Amino acid sequence: MELKSLSERKRRTFLRYLDRLGKAKDEDDGEAESGETKRKPTNWMEEAEKRLELLKLRVEKDGGDDDDKDDDDWDDFGSSDEDLSDIEINEKQSKMRIELVILGSLVLSTSVVGNAYYQKKQFYPSVVHITKSNPSMMVMYIQALVIVVLLGKLMKKIFFGQLRAAEVEHLIDRSWYAITETCLAFTVFREDFSTKFVALFTVLLFLKAFHWLVEDRVDYMERSPIISWLFHFRVTSLLLVLGVLDWHFIQVAYYATLTQGASVQLVFGFEYAILLTMVAMVTVKYALHTYDINRENPWEDKAVFLLYAELAIGFIKVILYMMFMLIMIRVYTLPLFAVRPMYLAMRSFKKALSDVILSRRAIRNLNTLYPDATAEDLANTDNVCIICREEMVTGAKKLPCNHIFHATCLRSWFQRQQTCPTCRLEVLRAPGNPIGNPAPPAAANVRPPQQQAAPSPPPPQAANAPQAVPVQPPLPPFIPPHHPFNFPFPMPNIPQQAGANDVRYVPDANGQRPVMPPPFSLPPFMPFVVPPPRPPANLGALSDAELRAMEGQERRHLEARIRVLRDIQTLLDAAVLQMNQYGILVARLEHESNNNTETVRSTGEEAPVASGQQAEEQQPGVSATSSPVENEVLTPEEETNLSDQERLRRRRVQRFMNGGEQN
Amino acid sequence: MAGSALRRLMAEYKQLTLNPPEGIVAGPINEENFFDWECLIVGPDGTCFEGGVFPAKLTFPTDYPLSPPKMQFTCEMFHPNIYSDGRVCISILHAPGDDPLGYESSAERWSPVQSVEKILLSVISMLAEPNDESGANIDAAKMWRDNRAEFDRIATRIVRKSLNIPL
Repeated sequence: MELKSLSERKRRTFLRYLDRLGKAKDEDDGEAESGETKRKPTNWMEEAEKRLELLKLRVEKDGGDDDDKDDDDWDDFGSSDEDLSDIEINEKQSKMRIELVILGSLVLSTSVVGNAYYQKKQFYPSVVHITKSNPSMMVMYIQALVIVVLLGKLMKKIFFGQLRAAEVEHLIDRSWYAITETCLAFTVFREDFSTKFVALFTVLLFLKAFHWLVEDRVDYMERSPIISWLFHFRVTSLLLVLGVLDWHFIQVAYYATLTQGASVQLVFGFEYAILLTMVAMVTVKYALHTYDINRENPWEDKAVFLLYAELAIGFIKVILYMMFMLIMIRVYTLPLFAVRPMYLAMRSFKKALSDVILSRRAIRNLNTLYPDATAEDLANTDNVCIICREEMVTGAKKLPCNHIFHATCLRSWFQRQQTCPTCRLEVLRAPGNPIGNPAPPAAANVRPPQQQAAPSPPPPQAANAPQAVPVQPPLPPFIPPHHPFNFPFPMPNIPQQAGANDVRYVPDANGQRPVMPPPFSLPPFMPFVVPPPRPPANLGALSDAELRAMEGQERRHLEARIRVLRDIQTLLDAAVLQMNQYGILVARLEHESNNNTETVRSTGEEAPVASGQQAEEQQPGVSATSSPVENEVLTPEEETNLSDQERLRRRRVQRFMNGGEQN
Repeated sequence: MAGSALRRLMAEYKQLTLNPPEGIVAGPINEENFFDWECLIVGPDGTCFEGGVFPAKLTFPTDYPLSPPKMQFTCEMFHPNIYSDGRVCISILHAPGDDPLGYESSAERWSPVQSVEKILLSVISMLAEPNDESGANIDAAKMWRDNRAEFDRIATRIVRKSLNIPL
C-alpha cells in the first residue's frame, strides 16, 4: 500500500538524519574538544550507534505492519529502553491489581453467600439473612459494582475493541462531570434515595459512557482512511442497542410518572431523551460519513447536511432542557445538576445557528459577488486549489484579487473569515457592495481595477455632497491630467446593462438581489445609461397579479427598492465627484493654457467641456428618472422600514438634487 | 472518498515524504489516524540549537486547513516562544482573532494557504531568531535578551539532551 511505503520512507529519512548528524557532531566534538577528554565523543558515538542499531532493528522487526509499536517508538524517542520496560512493568502491575480486586470481591461474596446458606440451609431465609446484615450487603454491593465494571469491559471489547488514548481521556473527563452532577441530583431527591435509585443512576452513567464512546468513534471516521467492516458492524449494532435501550427507559419513566406522579423517574426520562437525541445525531453523522466514504468523488454537500442536522438536534436538545427545567422548578427546585449540560446545549445550538447563518451568507456572497473562473483563468494558474490542494476542474470561483479557489472550499473558509486566503484582501469590503451577479465575461476582465478604484472616492464625497464647492484635493488616479478618457470604467458592459434594463427590477427566482449596475460604471459620456428600473409602459396590459408583484408588497421588493435608492445615491455622489474633477481640471487647464502649446490645449480642453456638458445633461435625467421611484417608495409605511441612516442619505440626495435644479 | 481534511493531510504527508525539506521529518504517528502527527526538527546551523534533533507533536483539528494545528515539543525546550510544556507560540499557528499575547498582526496569521511544511520551516526560523517581544516563556525571553551566554549554555545542554548525549 502507498501509505506503508510512505511511512517506510519517513523512517529512512529519519535514520539518514541521525546518521548524518552523528557524523557532524562527531567532527565538531573532535575539533572542539580534541585536547580535552576523549571520553565524551566516544561515549556519544556509542550511544548514537546503539540508538541507530535499535531503530534499524525495530524497523526490520516491525516490517511496517505493527503501527502501535511504531507509535511507541516515536513517542519514546527521547527515552531509553529502561523507561520502556518500566512502563511495561507498571502496566503489568496495574493489571495484576485489578485482577486481584476482582478475585477478592468474588471470594468475599461467595463466602458471604456460602456462610448464609450454611447457617440457614434454605434459600429464602438466607436471602433475608444477607439483606439484614450490613457487612454482607456491603460485600454484595461491591460485587455488583465489580460485575458492572466487568460487563462494561466486555461490552467495550465487543463494540469497540481497543480504546484509543483520546477516547479514554474524553471518557474520564466526562465521567467526572457526570458523577458530580449525579451527586448534585442526589441532593434534590433525598427522599427517594434508595438502592434502586443508585442502581438506576449507575445504569444511566454506564449507558452514557457508551454514548460518549460511540460519538467519539464516529467522529474518528473522519480522521482515518481505513474503515473496516468490523467498524461498521460494531457502530451500527451499538447505535441500535443504545437507541432501543434509551427508548425503553424513556417509556419506563413516562409510565412511572403517569401512574405514580412526579418522581426521580422524571430526571431519568429526560436524561434518556437527551441521550436519544445524541444517538440520533451520531446516527446521522455515521450515515453521512459512510455515504461520503463510499463515494467515488468528494461530496460537497456533506458539510451543509451536517450543519442542518446539528441545528435541528441542537434545537430539540434546548427545548428538552427548557421543558425539564420548567417542570423541575415547578415540582421540586432548581435542578443545579442540569445547569451545566443545559448551558452547553444552548451554546452549541447558538454555534450551530450562527454557523448556518454564516454559511448561508457565504454562499450568497459567492453566488452573487464573484464570477466563476473560466477555463482560461484555470489554465493561467497552476490549477491547484490552495485550500484543499486538489486540482480544480469545475466549480471554481475567482475573487476580486484574481485568486481562484474551489467554490466549496471558499464557502467553508468564508464561514470563518471574509478574506482571500492567499492575499488576505477583505473581499466584502473590496467590491462596492452592490456589484451584481456574475458579470458577462467581457466585464470580468475589467472588474478588478474598477473594484479597487471604487471604494476610495465615495466616503469623502458623501460628506461633501451638499456643498456647492467642496474643497477637495485633486485625485490623481481618478483623472490623470490630459488623459480624460482613461477612466477606470468598464466600458464594454454598458450596452449589455442598458439592454437588460427592463428585466432588472424584478428580482430573480432564487431571491437573489436584482442585477444592479456597479455604481461607477456610469460614465459621464453617456447620459441615461443607468436609469433606475421603470415599470413597463402599458400598465393596462398587465394582470392583477403582475401589477401586485410590481407594486411590491413583498419584502424583497422593498429591499430591492432600497437598494436601487442607495445605488442612485452613489451614482449622484459619483456624478458630483466627477463634476468637481472637471471643474478642477478646467481650472488647471485654463491656468496652464498660457504656457502650453496649441496641441495640448485642443486635446485638454475639448474633452472636459464636452463631457462636462454631457454630465450636466445627465443630471436632470437622473433626477427625473429617479424621482418617480423616490415618490413611490416614500410611503410612510415603507419609510418606517428604512434605517435612520438611509433616511439621512435620501434627504441628502434630495437636497443635492434641489440644489442642482436651482443652479 | 474521505473527508476534505483527511485528503489534504494525506496530500501533505505524501509531499513531505517524497520531497522532504532540509531539516524536517514529519508524518502521522499512526496511519490509521491522520490527525496526530509527529515530527523531528533539526536545530538550524549557526545557532545555539545547532545539531539538535527535536521531536514534536502536531495535532490537527477536524476542520483543518480552516483552523490551524497545534504544535508541542515533546522534548525539553528552552526558548522565548515555546511554553515550558513545549507548546509552540508563533503567529502562523494562531487563527485570526485569537491573539494570546497581543503582538501579532493578522497578516501573519493562519490561513489555509499555510501547510505543515511552512509551519515547521517557521519553527526552525523561530529557533534561529526568537521573538523576544511576545514571550511565551518569560524567563527564556529575558535570558535571551540579557544573558545570551547563559542562554546558549542551556540551549547546548538541550541539544545534547535531545541527542541523548551525556552532558
